[in-house]
Amino acid sequence: MTGTDRRSRRQLALMLTPYLVGLVGLVLLPAAVTLVLAFTEYDLLRPPRWVGLGNFAALLDDPVFRVSLTNSLVFALVAVPLRMLFALGLALLLHRRAVGVGSARTAAVLPTAVPEIAYGLLWLWLLNPLYGPVNQLLRTGGENGLTALGRTPPQWLTDPTDARAAIIMMSLFTIGETFVVLLAARRALPRDVYEMAAIEDATGWDVFRRVTLPLMAPALGLLAVRDAIQSLHFSFVPAFVVTDGGPPPYATTYLSLFVYRTGFEYLRYGYAAAATLVMILLTVAAVLVQWRLIRRYRAFYRL
Amino acid sequence: MRPTTRPKALLALLLTAVLAAAGCGSGAGSSADGPVRLLVFGAPEELAAYRTLVEAYGKAHPGADVQLVEASDRKDLLARLATSVAGGAPPDLFLMNYRFYGQFAAKDVIEPLDDRLAASAAVDPADYYPVAWDAFRWQGRQLCLPQNVSSLAVYYNRTLFARYGVPEPRAGWSWNDLVATATAMTRDTRGVVVRATESEGAALRPAVHGLGVEPSIIRLAPFVWSGGGEIVDDPARPTRLTLDGPAAREALKNLVDLRLAYGVVPTDEEVEAEDDESRFANGRLAMLMGSRRSTTTFRSITGFEWDVAPLPVYQAQVGVLHSDAYCMTRGARHKDAAWRFLEFAIAEEGQRIVAATGRTVPSHVGVSRSPAFLGPAQPPRSAKVFLDAIPTVRALPTVSTWPEIEDVTYGILENAVHRGDRLDDVIRDLDRQTRPIFARGEHG
Amino acid sequence: MSDPGLALAGVSAAYRGATVLHEVDLTVARGELLVVLGPSGAGKSTVLRVVAGLEPVTAGRVRIAGRDVTAERPGRRNVSMVFQSYALFPHLSVAENIAFGLEVRDTPRAAARERARAAAETVGCAGLLDRRPAQLSGGERQRVALARALVREPDVFLLDEPLSNLDQALRVQMRAELRALHDRLGATMVHVTHDQTEALVLADRIAVLRDGRIEQVGTPDEIWRTPATTFVARFVGSPAMNLLPADGPLRPDGAVVPGANQDGTQIGFRPEAVALDAAEGAAATVERVEVVGEDAYAYLALDGGHRIVARVPAARRPGRGAAVRVGVRWADAHVFHAGSGRRYVP
Repeated sequence: MTGTDRRSRRQLALMLTPYLVGLVGLVLLPAAVTLVLAFTEYDLLRPPRWVGLGNFAALLDDPVFRVSLTNSLVFALVAVPLRMLFALGLALLLHRRAVGVGSARTAAVLPTAVPEIAYGLLWLWLLNPLYGPVNQLLRTGGENGLTALGRTPPQWLTDPTDARAAIIMMSLFTIGETFVVLLAARRALPRDVYEMAAIEDATGWDVFRRVTLPLMAPALGLLAVRDAIQSLHFSFVPAFVVTDGGPPPYATTYLSLFVYRTGFEYLRYGYAAAATLVMILLTVAAVLVQWRLIRRYRAFYRL
Repeated sequence: MRPTTRPKALLALLLTAVLAAAGCGSGAGSSADGPVRLLVFGAPEELAAYRTLVEAYGKAHPGADVQLVEASDRKDLLARLATSVAGGAPPDLFLMNYRFYGQFAAKDVIEPLDDRLAASAAVDPADYYPVAWDAFRWQGRQLCLPQNVSSLAVYYNRTLFARYGVPEPRAGWSWNDLVATATAMTRDTRGVVVRATESEGAALRPAVHGLGVEPSIIRLAPFVWSGGGEIVDDPARPTRLTLDGPAAREALKNLVDLRLAYGVVPTDEEVEAEDDESRFANGRLAMLMGSRRSTTTFRSITGFEWDVAPLPVYQAQVGVLHSDAYCMTRGARHKDAAWRFLEFAIAEEGQRIVAATGRTVPSHVGVSRSPAFLGPAQPPRSAKVFLDAIPTVRALPTVSTWPEIEDVTYGILENAVHRGDRLDDVIRDLDRQTRPIFARGEHG
Repeated sequence: MSDPGLALAGVSAAYRGATVLHEVDLTVARGELLVVLGPSGAGKSTVLRVVAGLEPVTAGRVRIAGRDVTAERPGRRNVSMVFQSYALFPHLSVAENIAFGLEVRDTPRAAARERARAAAETVGCAGLLDRRPAQLSGGERQRVALARALVREPDVFLLDEPLSNLDQALRVQMRAELRALHDRLGATMVHVTHDQTEALVLADRIAVLRDGRIEQVGTPDEIWRTPATTFVARFVGSPAMNLLPADGPLRPDGAVVPGANQDGTQIGFRPEAVALDAAEGAAATVERVEVVGEDAYAYLALDGGHRIVARVPAARRPGRGAAVRVGVRWADAHVFHAGSGRRYVP
């Protein structure tokens, strides 16, 4: 090993240290503890008691857990593609230089910068069934509190389906990071390729399908993986602040909220840890599936 | 291999430093000095009441330092308490309703106060309402000391009653009187009596609703008892809800009918749009079934005059106990200082101060009969309604999993009232879904 | 066949508010290979982009094969373009790249592939059809880009410095192939380059562009022998043509070089026209000598601070610092107006 080698390795280790300490102390250790606690009965107040697979057996029988699991999966399956589509649409719309594009980009990113709780409270007002701007808008042109089409406006906070839609709607506007990455990815695409397509008289749809989409697919794939993982998290605050897991019984109780409640409200920490473990396993499974898809894609195009 | 070992050593060193720092962070309160920390939650008006109390204590005992830790709501308080106990840095004192202290009592987190009580010159248990005092006894030991005792009451908007010429509620009124009064007070914008039931569509929205009542087990309980029924099989060691009894069933049906048959309570949509307390404060709810807690908020009402009436009766006048108590954590770092504050808060002077803010019906019998509580300076004029209810109140069962039971039953009852689920299904669901939770519970 | 393949009439174009083309008039006959030559920033690429419709004109008309296409979008002009970067689609195979233009124009897939194969054979890259651009060398990419340009049989081929990314040897080879391809197809081509050798070798005619204006259009021979301006004179040829004031240290006879005796003219002569052993010549000192194979270039300092370059056989080159006597073959000299830089026409 040469001297410079040794020095650069030492520098590398030094620079990685703060990150590693954080990773171990704040992520890996708690994760390991959670893993162990999942096999215990623990109420935070008395020492944990080993129960083996008891928690998992109980989870299988727990209707609330099953509902939460379904809710989370449905949310991810609907929200993630919609978010990607929305962010991609915005990125393609706003990647050019034009009047107002700068402000539009800022507007697209802004909701992501709002603290989550404040964002939730904002939507609580927006979705207020009687006085909220959303339903006020839907009622314009209608009579007697109905929409112009003579229908009852959505009951965002009291109807299970509408409430789930509301949570997904809320998640659609916090796509700032995805949007920024896609914007950068789009702007990094070579201009002459698009000019080439223009000379060949490719239609907008052809350009999107044959050029933009395949060229951005690696970025899209990676972001979709990230979003799928994140979806377990960003469904928490809306459900916690806006719908409180309801309408009854558990229309918008997602896994994260279920874990929070069992852990911190009902002090069943071991049980919550078991649910968390299921959540982690689900995440890993989702990542693996998407990873395989991406690899297959890359192999297909030999990128 | 030296070049690789050194960064490792460095890493280990840094790691220990970080962990040590984290440890120090949580142990910062371990020194003998530092404030007594009191964990509470409540509406801004309630928090103001506790601040007044803490300030008064500071004046009376110069040098004593009590710090108010304010949680955003009840659930936040429970989570904070649990995590801080687990983290080894619990608050010295916390204020908690007897319905929720069970899980902490069962888990041996609360310091028994019998010895300190016996030695105290300032606090004599005989001065207090026994029903509140007993609610905080767990396995024969006094764990917490109650600051207040009350039952539900019916807040009503006197100005509205006068405008529409409807007789005000009186002591001893029946459930039917309640329904008739609520129906007469449900009015549209022109002041005409309307019936806002689902069959008439979404179009009809009363400007004033007759009554506001939460579809919860704690609101339902006094009426079940009043009709001679029970809500659980064994109040001391409950294993299941018994809402399938005839009295309970009738009380439940009548509660549901308020919405579905008479339309006198706001729909779920309306409740989401504006909760009952705000609706009452805005003059658009004629009556509201609530505990003493609402008083502090309602005292800021300027637009109309309001008062309280006792709960309506089926057979016997029965109330449901509402009581909050100061508890000391077993892991408290300043037990003696915390006890001194507790004595002050529970004894006559402290009770007088909080009573004056309107927050409490004092658990101290003497204070509750004094002008500090009954004085006519502040509404409600009929504050005595709260005192008259005390001999009739019953406590809900204290089981460690009660918070979960309240949450689960709330969801089912809410759907029963607003969605019109079949009563048999509702009662069966209530029973089936709460049984496993009762089974997990521990008892005092 | 009376219409030219391409005609620009009074075309101006602007980029971010600055005019980059000034009323350019340019005609390319059918089947002609015109090279647009100029230094960087002269607006060469803009000429192509205006023809392709990638940049709008601020004035003037563009006609392709007799059709006014000024208002047409790029796809409707029936041109094809080879970009400097080749602009190949990285996610498509060579065959798909070549067939792209056909497929987006709804040519049946099988037919498109067949024509792509034919085009690939024309440019000699038929063996690469299944590869991806990332797997190709520079020269191979160049061929693919060419095949893609010619698969559609456009009215005009536009080539934007297509050889500039290749190494010297490959560039010379591709240059010859490009010319052969043009002759075989008989296509109308506009080729942009900053390389004067490339222009001289390839072109039927050359248009020299400077600061968005056309300096001269002519055959390589005309450009070489009768440069219209001092700019053209110095830009074409390496080393550049010598330019001296007419009243400088080297004075031709007015009878041999018409106009050379008038005030305000400049005399131009190429290094080849300079001899270092003239008995009656002006005195000069050799400052520097560069040897390029058989030839050597001697950089000379004349009286009055004037400098010129002479080409001499490498075998007979002078040493540095040598004193020489300079003579010029005046028959090959050019006369320019000093102010305008334009060629003197008697």
